[in-house]
Amino acid sequence: MKRSRTVAALVILTMLLLYVSERISVVNVGYDIEKLKSQKVKLERERDEMKMKLSSLTAPERIAKVATEQLGMVPPKQGQVVLVRVEPENPKIGNPPAPEVRLAKYEPGGRWP
Amino acid sequence: MKAADPYRGRCLAVAVLLMLGFVAVLFRLFDLQILQAAELTAKADRQHRKSVTIEGARGGIQDRHGKVLAMNMDVPSVFGVPTSLDDPSSVARDLAQVLPVRAVEIEKRLKQDRSFVWIARKLDPEQGRQVEALSLGGIGTVLEGRRFYPKGPLLAHVLGFAGLDGQGLEGVERRYEQVLHGDKQLVIMERDALGRTVFPKGLTEQGPTPGHTITLTIDEVIQYIAEKELEEMVAATRAKGGIVIAMEPRTGAILALAVSPRFDPNSVRDLSADRWRNRALTDAYEPGSTMKIFVAAAALEEKRMAPDSLIFAENGAFQVANTVIHDHEKMGWITFAQMIQKSSNIGAAKTGIALGQEDLYRYLKAFGFGERTEIDLSGEMAGLLKDPRQWGKRSLASISMGQEVGVTPLQLVTAMSAVANGGWLMKPYIVSSIRDASGKVVAEQGSQVRRRPISLETAQTLTGILEGAVTKGTGIRAAVPGYRVAGKTGTAQKIDPKSGHYSPTLFVGSFVGFVPADHPKLAIVAVIDEPHAEAWGGVVAAPVFRRIAEQALPYLGVPAGEPVKVAFTLEPGVGVGESVRVQEQ
Repeated sequence: MKRSRTVAALVILTMLLLYVSERISVVNVGYDIEKLKSQKVKLERERDEMKMKLSSLTAPERIAKVATEQLGMVPPKQGQVVLVRVEPENPKIGNPPAPEVRLAKYEPGGRWP
Repeated sequence: MKAADPYRGRCLAVAVLLMLGFVAVLFRLFDLQILQAAELTAKADRQHRKSVTIEGARGGIQDRHGKVLAMNMDVPSVFGVPTSLDDPSSVARDLAQVLPVRAVEIEKRLKQDRSFVWIARKLDPEQGRQVEALSLGGIGTVLEGRRFYPKGPLLAHVLGFAGLDGQGLEGVERRYEQVLHGDKQLVIMERDALGRTVFPKGLTEQGPTPGHTITLTIDEVIQYIAEKELEEMVAATRAKGGIVIAMEPRTGAILALAVSPRFDPNSVRDLSADRWRNRALTDAYEPGSTMKIFVAAAALEEKRMAPDSLIFAENGAFQVANTVIHDHEKMGWITFAQMIQKSSNIGAAKTGIALGQEDLYRYLKAFGFGERTEIDLSGEMAGLLKDPRQWGKRSLASISMGQEVGVTPLQLVTAMSAVANGGWLMKPYIVSSIRDASGKVVAEQGSQVRRRPISLETAQTLTGILEGAVTKGTGIRAAVPGYRVAGKTGTAQKIDPKSGHYSPTLFVGSFVGFVPADHPKLAIVAVIDEPHAEAWGGVVAAPVFRRIAEQALPYLGVPAGEPVKVAFTLEPGVGVGESVRVQEQ
């Protein structure tokens, strides 16, 4: 009788301890998630900053300026760029020609704002 | 008798004391847990819960190839807490070293009797890092979304701009405010004693939805070419301004829309509204001879004229309703085609008279004059095309040569695109798709037919005549070597605002055309406003058309229709990597 009581008490105690330790680890994981979240935000900000930089560095105006003023390049003269019409060997293969007039497409249910 | 316990009294006293203590504790517990429960719970919540309004980032704007034209970025803003500052002057001095605000100004703000003041908002990320490095007490930084236009002035008149609080104020930013702006959301965060955010709040909650991303029909490269050539011509002719629109005639998609003078949407604070107005669609002007295209289209469609019909050009002077119409060169009998190619006012007036008021009005209306094109940009004007009942005795002749009507450059290029497009008038558009933050298409816009003012046959005949206007007419400077160009020049006198009459010195020179004439890929209008010296459309506007077309066509991969006569040879003995002298034959 006395022994079974002791066992029951021990089981309850173990469960309580388990519960508490689980709670603690949940809270710790929560902190980790928060830390990773803020890291993600920081990285996203860095990515945006680089995207901005890339976009401003690739502006055609800047490229033209660097090419002509720093690298001594000139725009191609008439005839220096020759485009050649290429006929596909088998006209049946490949994309069908675009229809003459395309009508407006809307997503089903989507309304143009 | 049992001896009395000598400790009994003490035990009792201790027990009573303990009891009293417990009663006191119980009473306090009752007070805290039941009587003051509501108030204290609220107080605790205030301490460990923080509610913040988070705004989803504003959506970006990109060109048809995904090049970023406008985007949001979180940048630091610096604030101060004046109530927790001991020495505002020294803090102000330190801050002035790294911020674009004067020390005096910062000090003034920091001496206010408030718990929160802004010191500088929406700074460069680098400046924010410098402020944080100073680690001054009572000074902090928060991040706020700021709108950036990484390409500077490119496409500024179309993009418009967003205000400090992130709402679109002009252009696409304003027209599509509804889809661009992000949602606002109130988020409650739980913090522990150290101020860290505690799990599990915020894990299952989604953040605020960011705004949608807009893809334009604009091509960044063609836009750049258009702006460069327009700016050069405006500078060379010392003109007041200019406009270029490049359209895909088959669809009505706008490829480029340039307005001169330009402005930088990143710094609009000191500019007047006049500078950022998109004059390509808000300002109507008297087009002059470009109108003859549509008068001719009506006459051909109604079979009142054929390309070889003969018209007598009255040797340069023709009397209509007590006024005399002049031609810039004296001509006798000319064909209908020559009337367009030589841009004869008298011939155009006679064509209009042959059509009659009702028919002329009906066709001009059908080409979209006097009504909005319904482009998806705000501020568009309908222009001016009076009802025939309000026409005077000279109106029929005047309108036929492009006077007494007001058209926007957008209307002109849209109508010209109908000629290029086998007679189909399309609705011009500038936004092709809207995507949400995950990249899913929310809405898509394609080409839309509005109506068909003329038949395919008329469109083809007219194209032939307009090709002649470039090869042997007034538009010769619009000719693009290797490509067939159809187009028409226009030179219109402006009304002098002082006298109310046509000014002898103020002109608008324009050219509208499309290329290649047999399978048009580009319709372009170029308008030069008040050029100095020679103001002829054929001199100031036609070269702009040519320069844009000759750069844009190879870029678009449109091969020259005629065999290219100019070739280059390599000198014998030139190896790879050595300089190659290009020789034109």
